[in-house]
Amino acid sequence: MSGHARDLLALEAAGALDAAEAARVETHLAECPACAGEAAAWRLLAAELGRLPAPKPSAALVARTVEAAEEHRAERSERAWNRAALGFLVAFSWTLAVLSWVVVDLVKGVLALRLERSVGPTAAWYGAYLVAGWFSAAVAAALLGRRAREEGRIA
Amino acid sequence: MDADRDDAARLRRGDTAGLAGLMGRHQDRLYRYLLRFLGDEAVAEDVFQQTWVRVAERIARYDRSRPFAPWLLAVARHLALDQLRRRRPEGLDEGAEPAAGADADPLAFAAAAQRRARLAEAVAALAPLDREVLSLRFEEEQALPQLAATLGVPVPTAKARLYRALARLRARLLARAPAEEWR
Repeated sequence: MSGHARDLLALEAAGALDAAEAARVETHLAECPACAGEAAAWRLLAAELGRLPAPKPSAALVARTVEAAEEHRAERSERAWNRAALGFLVAFSWTLAVLSWVVVDLVKGVLALRLERSVGPTAAWYGAYLVAGWFSAAVAAALLGRRAREEGRIA
Repeated sequence: MDADRDDAARLRRGDTAGLAGLMGRHQDRLYRYLLRFLGDEAVAEDVFQQTWVRVAERIARYDRSRPFAPWLLAVARHLALDQLRRRRPEGLDEGAEPAAGADADPLAFAAAAQRRARLAEAVAALAPLDREVLSLRFEEEQALPQLAATLGVPVPTAKARLYRALARLRARLLARAPAEEWR
């Protein structure tokens, strides 16, 4: 049998030949004792490969894995909830910021009426209102972040 | 497999009983595959854990009209390859040097158990990609088309890899054991 055909013996033992190749090998093996011996050796190797000891994961590894997967899922769902809450709060605060123009304008009008003099443009009051609001939000976020770090919830 | 689909659906809803069900059916095969492929128990355990965490995380991407095992294997293979590339920057196609001082006592080779032990040793010394293809064909019993799909290569390439792994394995065995043991 040629060198190329000898390659087929290994693949024949592995059950990886197509029908035409398998038929060719079978015909040849019937008339070539040397190749038949070689084929038997490959088949022995293939059979033994399927009988290698099958290691199994330990119960401790399985338990650790379930725990890690559950922990990871819990963290992910908490993060998803936090993202959704943050998105809602941002949208809500922008809505308030826009609507507050009307309120600031109203308050400024009432104040001007009481003082019986002009108290400056609405835009200036509105700007001051926004700066104060954002500053308060930043302080609150910093305090919450520090608390979360102290509790070990974020790195 | 219906049980796999049901458990996958359960896991997708956040019920971790689904994960337990999937693990119960697939953990042994997955672990054996990883151990053969990675050739190191500690690393195999690490990737085993990472695989199930990834499965729980990405179960929404699993197409329930297809079998679960190939998807699981693809997830595991991806993580294992990452791990191997980190640990073996020289390449995944190189085996260990043959160990010196093989026992040459002819009586020691008589028992099939010892032959098997030599075989396990020889397999462990192969390159990761050779170990993988042998494990998929002979332990996972994947036919050539399925094997090619798992490896992400065309069928002729998978066939060539399988032949190359077998030839390398046999060469190692013949170099270390009496010729008659594998004849």
